[in-house]
Amino acid sequence: MAHATSQGPKLLYGFKRPNRFEKGLGAQLPEAYRKFWREWKLTTPAAVHYIPKDGQWERDEVTNEIKPIQNIPLPLIDPPESHEGIWGGESVIKGFQKRQQTKRRVPHFWVPVLKRSVVHSQVLNEYMSVVVTERTLVQIHECFGFDHYLLKNLACDLRSSLALKLKRKILQELEKGCPALAADPGHQKEVLKEYSRYLESYTSEEIDWYGHTYLEAIRKLQIQLKAEEKVVPHKVEFRSQLIEQLRKAGIAEAGGSDASATKDAQPSAEHKDADIEALTKLESSPSSSSWLSKINPFGKKET
Amino acid sequence: MLKNICVTQINLLKSVSNMQQQVRTTFVLKRKYEPLLHKTNEKPRKMRAKHFIYELVEDTSVKKQPNLEVVLKQFVQGVGDKGDVVSLRPNFVYNKLLLPGLAAYKTPENIAKYAKTEAEKNTLEHSSPYAQRTVNVLESITLAVIMNKDERWVLEPWHIRASLRKAGIYCNEECISMPSQRIEGPDLKKENKEFYCTITVNNLEKARLKCRIHHWSTDPSERLPYVLEHWKMPAEPLLGLEDGATANETAELTPKST
Repeated sequence: MAHATSQGPKLLYGFKRPNRFEKGLGAQLPEAYRKFWREWKLTTPAAVHYIPKDGQWERDEVTNEIKPIQNIPLPLIDPPESHEGIWGGESVIKGFQKRQQTKRRVPHFWVPVLKRSVVHSQVLNEYMSVVVTERTLVQIHECFGFDHYLLKNLACDLRSSLALKLKRKILQELEKGCPALAADPGHQKEVLKEYSRYLESYTSEEIDWYGHTYLEAIRKLQIQLKAEEKVVPHKVEFRSQLIEQLRKAGIAEAGGSDASATKDAQPSAEHKDADIEALTKLESSPSSSSWLSKINPFGKKET
Repeated sequence: MLKNICVTQINLLKSVSNMQQQVRTTFVLKRKYEPLLHKTNEKPRKMRAKHFIYELVEDTSVKKQPNLEVVLKQFVQGVGDKGDVVSLRPNFVYNKLLLPGLAAYKTPENIAKYAKTEAEKNTLEHSSPYAQRTVNVLESITLAVIMNKDERWVLEPWHIRASLRKAGIYCNEECISMPSQRIEGPDLKKENKEFYCTITVNNLEKARLKCRIHHWSTDPSERLPYVLEHWKMPAEPLLGLEDGATANETAELTPKST
């Protein structure tokens, strides 16, 4: 039974629902994008809102019972606003508080404290006003600069599409050799030397596909596909086919137009008209022999 | 477990290696009730509502941040000289030094890059990062020089020194250079007239001090009527010269005094 299905023996372990990279346009997304997707969505981000326990086992202090340690991360919510700022891995936590032992639990949202600040990108040579958290700034200081912060951290830790977009832009700029700093060649050289080590872990295709959301990647793919297949109108296609056929058949007018192609544009256009006339003549010649053509309903009546 | 899927992480972590630490400036929570254990290499069990009851471990946004160390790229007034490694509050450092490009992060490369050269060490432009503050204070005040109304006097540096002491500023007589013209009194025509003298701070920075002459008598009946907040009112120049001319004059004089 299993061999008869498209999934083959895999069906033995249950039906596997195709994921977004196995159906539709998503299946055509390149490996470069999938690599980014794995870095962004399938990697466990660093613990920001909880303290993970170290080690593999722990002993209960009271009962001396040995238990394995399983760090289950707190579920986080990324609101749309988090993608317009750079929150440095923080996000909203939805949960409950138990404020009194005898009272019912109370729903509570823990929301990071946001502030607007300026960040400076050396590579892009630009100052940007963005919404950040204190943690973002501390991380920028620890990495010795905004560019280092973006380039060092994984997509899952940046946790913001704005940051990812900037990261892609910075990588693209580095690949081109920092044209933004062309006014000062010495400084440009220094910056390139400082940041070029980050380029090692990416190919140029990976940089091109880095930092897009799934929908953006699909749009990009659609644009690419559209550009690849050029639609030629049937009118043009069929005419060239017909002319080719006629040339093979050895008709003088069809061959003549090709011979005169080296002449100016004006005469060649005239020749084309001549071709068309010849073609119409050819087309009309069998019909002229039929009796129907002799009947002209709009002609003058012969009396 | 899932970290293994990502290939780039390994490459990136190599570059991270230099002293990047985990920081928490946010709500750090923990579960009040631990969820039940799940099988290894399987998804965690479906959690119940009580597993979403959290307790606050710490809120690090209210904790004091440690100071940030930076290397100055140039002389910054009130902070330090070029090449100095200064440790200040992180917000001040970020907003006032790093973003305007006056400083760089303290890394071995930056320390070497912005260290003072021999030539720069020899040419002293600023005696201290704080000297300019003193200059600013001296230039902002209007000094009242109170002279005797009855006895004859010639204005000398020690008069200025005493007046400055009254205003809460202590300086040596050698630092004070008077205008070139002699100022004599008592002369009620010179009452509330302005002149400038130059104060040299740390034998280097020059400050133009605005002084006004006032007459005072030991006999209370002889004293001039008190004018309320007279230092806010405009006054005429004493020496009949424009401000700029007196400034030049004093500037020429000062090297002798220092």
